[in-house]
Amino acid sequence: MTTKEYFLPQSLDEAVGLLADHGPSLLVIAGGTLAMPLINEGVSMPETVIGLQRAGLNNIKRTNGSLAIGATTTLTRMMADHTIPLLQEAAHHIGGWSIRNMGTVGGNLFAPPPSGDFAVALLALDAQVKLVSNNSQRVLPLTEFYTGFMTTALQPNELVSEIMVPVPKGKTAYLKYGRRHANTPAIVTVAVHLILENRIVKDVRLGLNAVGPYPIRAEAAERVLIGTTFDQEAIAAAAHAAAEECQPFTDSIATEWYRRRMVGVYVRRALTQLAG
Amino acid sequence: MVQRMLNVVGQPVLRRDGMGHVLGKTTYVDDITYPDMLHLKMVRSPIPHARIKGIDFSEAEKVPGFVCYLTHKDIPKNVYTILTLIGVGPDEEPVLAEDKVLYNGEQIAAIVAETEEAAMEAVSRVKLDLEELPAVFDVEEALKAGAPILKPWGTNYFIYDYEYGQQNMFRKVRFGDVDKAFDEADFIVEECYQTSPIEHVPSETTACIAKPEADGRITVHTNTQALFFSLDNTALILQVPFQKLHFVGGTVGGGFGGKVDVIVEPIATLAAIKTGRPVKYKFTREEEMRVSSSRGAWRMYFKDGVMKDGRIIARKVTTYADSGAYNRHTPYAVTKHVANAAGPYRIPNVWIDAHCVYTNRQPGSAMRGFGVTPASFAIESQMDLIAETIGMDPWEIRFINAYRDGDMKPHQKVVEDATLIEVMQTAAEMVGHKLPEEYRKMSSSNREGGNHG
Amino acid sequence: MASKIVNFTLNGRPVEAMSKPLTTLQAILREQFKYTATKSGCKQGGCGSCTVLVNDEPIMSCLLPVENVEGQEVVTLEGLLQSEDGLHPIQAAFFERFAVQCGYCSPGMIMISKALLEQNPQPSREEIVDALTGNFCRCTGYEPIIQAVEEAARRMNGG
Repeated sequence: MTTKEYFLPQSLDEAVGLLADHGPSLLVIAGGTLAMPLINEGVSMPETVIGLQRAGLNNIKRTNGSLAIGATTTLTRMMADHTIPLLQEAAHHIGGWSIRNMGTVGGNLFAPPPSGDFAVALLALDAQVKLVSNNSQRVLPLTEFYTGFMTTALQPNELVSEIMVPVPKGKTAYLKYGRRHANTPAIVTVAVHLILENRIVKDVRLGLNAVGPYPIRAEAAERVLIGTTFDQEAIAAAAHAAAEECQPFTDSIATEWYRRRMVGVYVRRALTQLAG
Repeated sequence: MVQRMLNVVGQPVLRRDGMGHVLGKTTYVDDITYPDMLHLKMVRSPIPHARIKGIDFSEAEKVPGFVCYLTHKDIPKNVYTILTLIGVGPDEEPVLAEDKVLYNGEQIAAIVAETEEAAMEAVSRVKLDLEELPAVFDVEEALKAGAPILKPWGTNYFIYDYEYGQQNMFRKVRFGDVDKAFDEADFIVEECYQTSPIEHVPSETTACIAKPEADGRITVHTNTQALFFSLDNTALILQVPFQKLHFVGGTVGGGFGGKVDVIVEPIATLAAIKTGRPVKYKFTREEEMRVSSSRGAWRMYFKDGVMKDGRIIARKVTTYADSGAYNRHTPYAVTKHVANAAGPYRIPNVWIDAHCVYTNRQPGSAMRGFGVTPASFAIESQMDLIAETIGMDPWEIRFINAYRDGDMKPHQKVVEDATLIEVMQTAAEMVGHKLPEEYRKMSSSNREGGNHG
Repeated sequence: MASKIVNFTLNGRPVEAMSKPLTTLQAILREQFKYTATKSGCKQGGCGSCTVLVNDEPIMSCLLPVENVEGQEVVTLEGLLQSEDGLHPIQAAFFERFAVQCGYCSPGMIMISKALLEQNPQPSREEIVDALTGNFCRCTGYEPIIQAVEEAARRMNGG
């Protein structure tokens, strides 16, 4: 290990101050479940590392109609909060118990596909992220946070401090399909938020993971659904659109061909759950 | 008296090592440490086939804690083959690569350093000058004219010394007359079966510690599954008398065949001799996945001649076993394969060719029934296909063809103590499948009943 | 590269660890304190062989910088009863129900089972499977382990 300094700032101010001082050479970790494997294997050899676990970001606040989730809130802590069951379920589908005790909601945003499933639920819930530096603060919709494979809108001097999630007004569903029942990277992950009025789709958000360079919204499928009667025909058309628009890849978990097929199957199943 | 003798047979007996396991007191290789212990890490090929034009250690030597590097020039007998101990040859695998590398991850040079971290950092600073060569990854492609040739003897297949000193490019079995039987058969059933490589993923990665003793011997703590195999090969590679090495093992954190190769011990032992200090060489999990032997991949073409009454009268099998870049245990696996490719069935005409083929993939090796397991997959899939083709119950096709005591197997071995029929009868009972009276009365010990009569 | 002294409680005793930056709890336990029951199967958080309890919660010690446990309580398998006559019920059940084969996953399995049974004394089979899913065993096929945890729960509940 070539790391020369490991900082454990005691506040957000101290953390962003360190970021300003050290710039892009600083590696930021929270639970360590993404960075430490690479460091242990010698793939990553960072000189300076900052750990956010003591920076006071591990809390969940309820404010009028939304949850403000501190970036270092663990996935286990998230599972224990009953405000938004979709988030509990998404957290439960990540890793095993020990990993969820360490991995954080903020850190999971940086897990590249086929990991990083928490963001799928956040996309379906129209979440926003708060980005903080030593002299600025801004809020971005999660859809604008991702810019490419393992790249984000985050500036070198910024941290994700908080994730804001409106309490859903409609029905939600979450399905993850992997090679195992649990503790597995995804073949595909689907999250849906749906508002119906007299069986007509008033609003829908469909999040997908493991079928693109980052967690994505299936916008073509959403357009197919909005304004239509929510029946088997509409569900089939949306599933077809999602399978068409996604950009799956081949890895050791599944092929591009198989992932695309499974997007169709799992979008249909998730929507069918909400029709029931 | 009888009762006293049977107080173990049929009874659960608590594991001798179980108490140590639940107390956390069992000592695995990784748990052993010495005050002045050094760590060894490997410079590996990042590509599957290349000529080595140069290795530059100058930056690695500057890493604080760097002690020394080792290349093939340091190894007394660098080229070996594990199964030399049971007469398999020729030697063909280098401990450390010489002029070429044949698979992604192949060992090129060892770095020895004061700490694991320093060794890892020094490895990352070694500069390799490699000329990439065309690679071949498919067993049948590897045998075609024009394929890149991997072995110094000019072929991509293992050469078996067959009977009467005749050399063969494959293991073969000839029994009866398959071509005549195919002409007589009511049905011909053909299929190709392919298996994939499988990593053993032992919980504990491959590791050893070699420690020089005051009396000049070297103690080697290792988690090998084959202690004396490892000792003997290490002695042959280092050209030292066997008694100079003292191998300590027996505690293996999972093996499944993945720890019968001799990879870490020779080089760690050499490093211990060179430095006069204990040296540890432990695979990371990534190394275990990427470079340790896997179960090989097998491609098997089956052609069976079958009669309307369900009797299989001929079987022709052509197999290509993917040995990867080196022998390891695949030549032996192919020999086991040909003895089992006809399956536990009485087939009067059998023709088997099984090729041990080299490709630019990670070497395949031993894993739970290697050579036989792929054959069983192909055979039983084929039995179901035959049943479907001729419109017969899959249980029935197996009872009709099951071998029994006294039958001659294709590789000229008389069947003894057969239990296939009894196992199938019990299995049918356990899954609630009602067998016809005829099959319930059959026995492996005689040939009464069944269509073979 | 200045080392730091980290204070925490290890198996009920206050200890001081000397840590280079980012040294993991696993490395400190194994190399400094010679508590080698905590295994090192992957250093990726992928196998669970290094599972220990921090403030009664299971974590992967291979991923946790030891500086993060300053002032906290760490329990390893060595912190359970350490004689054949005084086994913890989980250890006894693992031994008697053949939940150990090669033994390499056992320390992690026992520690995560301990956390489970302390938080949930009467877990369903489903809850046991869910708790153990991050801990890999390549020998047993898991069934004897699940049965051992069920048996341990019965014994700990006086059954």
